[in-house]
Amino acid sequence: MQIRDIFERKQYVFLDGGMGTMLQAAGLPLGERPELLAITRPELLTSIHAAYIEAGSDIVYANTFGASAKKLEGTGHTVEELVPAALECARRAAEPAGALVALDVGPLGELLEPAGTLRFEDAYEYFAQIMRACADKADVIVLETMTDLYEVKAALLAAKENSRLPVMVSMTFEANGRSFTGCTVESFAATAVGLGADAVGINCSLGPAEIYPMAKALCEAARPEVPVFVKPNAGLPRADGSGYDITPEEYCRQMQPYKQLGISMLGGCCGTTPEFIRLLKQSFGGEAPAVRSATPRSWLCTPVKPVEVNDVTVVGERINPTGKKRFQQALRDGDMDYILTQAVEQMNAGAKVLDVNVGLPGVDEPAMMEMAVKAIQSVVDLPLQLDSTKPEALERGLRVYNGKPIVNSVNGEQKVLDAILPLCKKYGAAVIGLTLDENGIPKKAEQRVEVARRIQQAALAAGIPNEDIYIDCLTLTASAQQEDVMETLRALKICKEELGVHTVLGVSNISFGLPCRPYLNTAFLTLAMMHGLDLPIINPNLEEMMAAVSAFRVLTNRDKQSTDYIARYAGRTAAPAASSAHVPQLGTAVEQGLKAEAAQAAREMLKNKQPLELVNEVLIPALDRVGAGFEKGTLFLPQLLQAAAAAQSAFEVVKDAIAQTGQAGPSRGKIVVATVKGDIHDIGKNIVKVILENYGYDVTDLGRDVPPEKVVETVRSTGAQLVGLSALMTTTLPSMAQTIEQLHTAGLPCKVMVGGAVLTPDYAKEIGADFYVKDAKASADVAKQVLGA
Amino acid sequence: MQLEKPSALRRKEIYRYLACPENSPAADDLLDRCEADLLAAAQPRGVWRILPREQAPASLLLDEGDIARHLEGCSRLVLMAVTLGAEVERLLRRYSATDVALATAADAAASVLVDQMADLLEAHIRSQLAKEHWYMTGRYSPGYGNWPLPVQADLCRVLDTGRAIGLGVSASYLMAPRKSVTAALGVADHPVKGRLAGCGHCVLRDTCGYRKRGTTCADS
Repeated sequence: MQIRDIFERKQYVFLDGGMGTMLQAAGLPLGERPELLAITRPELLTSIHAAYIEAGSDIVYANTFGASAKKLEGTGHTVEELVPAALECARRAAEPAGALVALDVGPLGELLEPAGTLRFEDAYEYFAQIMRACADKADVIVLETMTDLYEVKAALLAAKENSRLPVMVSMTFEANGRSFTGCTVESFAATAVGLGADAVGINCSLGPAEIYPMAKALCEAARPEVPVFVKPNAGLPRADGSGYDITPEEYCRQMQPYKQLGISMLGGCCGTTPEFIRLLKQSFGGEAPAVRSATPRSWLCTPVKPVEVNDVTVVGERINPTGKKRFQQALRDGDMDYILTQAVEQMNAGAKVLDVNVGLPGVDEPAMMEMAVKAIQSVVDLPLQLDSTKPEALERGLRVYNGKPIVNSVNGEQKVLDAILPLCKKYGAAVIGLTLDENGIPKKAEQRVEVARRIQQAALAAGIPNEDIYIDCLTLTASAQQEDVMETLRALKICKEELGVHTVLGVSNISFGLPCRPYLNTAFLTLAMMHGLDLPIINPNLEEMMAAVSAFRVLTNRDKQSTDYIARYAGRTAAPAASSAHVPQLGTAVEQGLKAEAAQAAREMLKNKQPLELVNEVLIPALDRVGAGFEKGTLFLPQLLQAAAAAQSAFEVVKDAIAQTGQAGPSRGKIVVATVKGDIHDIGKNIVKVILENYGYDVTDLGRDVPPEKVVETVRSTGAQLVGLSALMTTTLPSMAQTIEQLHTAGLPCKVMVGGAVLTPDYAKEIGADFYVKDAKASADVAKQVLGA
Repeated sequence: MQLEKPSALRRKEIYRYLACPENSPAADDLLDRCEADLLAAAQPRGVWRILPREQAPASLLLDEGDIARHLEGCSRLVLMAVTLGAEVERLLRRYSATDVALATAADAAASVLVDQMADLLEAHIRSQLAKEHWYMTGRYSPGYGNWPLPVQADLCRVLDTGRAIGLGVSASYLMAPRKSVTAALGVADHPVKGRLAGCGHCVLRDTCGYRKRGTTCADS
């Protein structure tokens, strides 16, 4: 068989069965690394491959599953030594029989950020090293048993950028239809196919019967020209690890229904042996794979949330600094928490996709885009719409995005199309095209459709499928260009009907310069949806806009039995009553831990008080009272934290007010906080940060797993006089010591306070810390001592 | 294997983690807000295997110190691992980004929940072994007493936790997902209780709140 034949889908391609199973049967001891066998017992590996080929395998997976530098640590062997050796073992068996050899690449065994500490870029490098060591000595690369979509992306990029071989990718799903990290079959299909996988599949974890529904979903979600393959286990593993529960005959029987699905490659995983492959070959050998359905589907996704764009899909517009002083300040300060709050708020309001625009003069947009994408996807499940005109910013965001995003935007200018479309293709993103070009926005609908057509042709030529093309016919303001409003909608309708593309509009621009904007916005939104708008870009926190979408879906018979509408609105009154309820005093609201009330009270109070007065005369005394109660033992941690959260929400109102005036914030001094390198426990550090911020200190939070160099660099660039370091585990205390040492070596005139479960005052002294703080309250006391109250 | 989720959180223990009196209204308010989401996000899974004492890899360092005393008289060994899964981590990150009080309460609740799941798996194993007249010690985890944390990596390799339940170990020997438990238990043909390390070897001995109050974590 030739390598090009395996992707043809004209005949079934037979993969091999379990390698680990065969090695255990040959007596591999517990906990031993099987990759070393390529050197210690090459003939054993060759004989196993030969047995599979003899049974009917067209492709055998070389014994390189765990041959990453990460997994080989401590073995004394290198990737460069083991990968070619293992490929050679497989080649010796394959060549005489005309079979093919796959470089087999499994997970690195350590979770990627944000769940773990392994950086995406480092994971990429581990995989790239394997690809380079392979040096195209295999016929195909297989990425398999993946449970984390982010790791799939790192490995797939590494394969595509370091090898010319085709790449097959298979993930492992559990009985609930998700991988261990929560990835869905649809998200896997959309992302892997987008990134250029030559075949997608499912392996391990379950038997053929259990995998069947997921294989069906995969066949339906992946584009029909991309082959689908399966390698199930020999039934279910026994919980105590003693083996698998079905026979080759039963396995083959359970595989029969797969014939209707249109899979074109099959084999086995854990617990399967050459006998399983022999029976599969007998049963499937003479037949041709079924043809898969050709209905293209439009997906955007994160690992846990695939969004199929087949109905009005609200894009939240709030992550954008245009015209928002507080947001601009947050970007200049690198304040990710502010951006995250905006993201979570829009998710809770019902947005399905979030637009992310972090462009601001004076801000390093590419770096900020990467940081924002990583931060947002670590807390919110919604797909992102990366919004920039800079190709470099888009690429930085696209590279680290986990899933399938949409790019906003290209337009009809050739140089823009040339710069951005190849990025969308490489990273598997959908794309929005604006109907304008170097001559501006055409006045007439037909002219805009012409631009749209040009964009569509360019995107198709770049390899972007039609279902991933979205056209924005551009909302013009009714106050300035009233006669053109309906042209936009007419253009939208033509694009949708004639070009068969999806449509997008930024809606609220319609009302610019007119009073009571929501009236115009909702009316225009409804008209646009009636003309075929798929992605309205709106502020989802405005209930009337979301209500217009909900109502539209009821009236057009899309929201069957009004289920979604009822879920959203049952028990609510149509117009929210003006908030006339009694608002407690700010101090009381903070002490009682009432977030919304504290923010409301702060807003009231700012009508007659300066922001700084509010902080000094009301907020801090209230926090002091709570702190004193905590020290005396009359109130406890939950109340302290609720008060801190309430104060934080009041503080947010204050910052907003200050941003409006353009003055400097109420800083009492700068503090840098971090959870040290290697440690991912950050609850304690987060509490400290909030409390210090509430006391008016300007806190730079470097997050968790922070290298010493980054702490030094940040202290230097901010001029912070106090550093707070946190570590929870005994194994990460040495990084704390290193960080302090590097701060001292750098000669920075800052004090260091340390805290964390396993720290003691003595150890703190030993590693050169200036202060040991037993809790968050104590850190505020130290801050007062060092920076002044 | 998938472990069955409880219908409610063990609040009594969560109050302990939050260092507040039982039925504290502030704690209850926070727990009421996160309980349903946390239980929905949890995908508790466990894996275990039983092996003769001599087949345990030397890298587990079972023949010295506190762990050796715990396993005294045991001819076999159970290794187990339990995790709440990645979605809980995501939920905790989301709370962290938006509400520090809720984040802390949910973090404590998740710690208690994973312990509860470890109890469940342990009870399952115990009942299996009891049928064959074997007896078992309690759980002993890497990092307890002077059993070094770095054995975490070897323990997880023996159980193949990445493949079995989606649990990985970082370069500094921390588990991810964080809300996970691993443990070794001794198995013998006669009743055994095992021995906890005692405070002498505990890394928290100087700062421990229980010791200051004259009790131990094992008493409460």
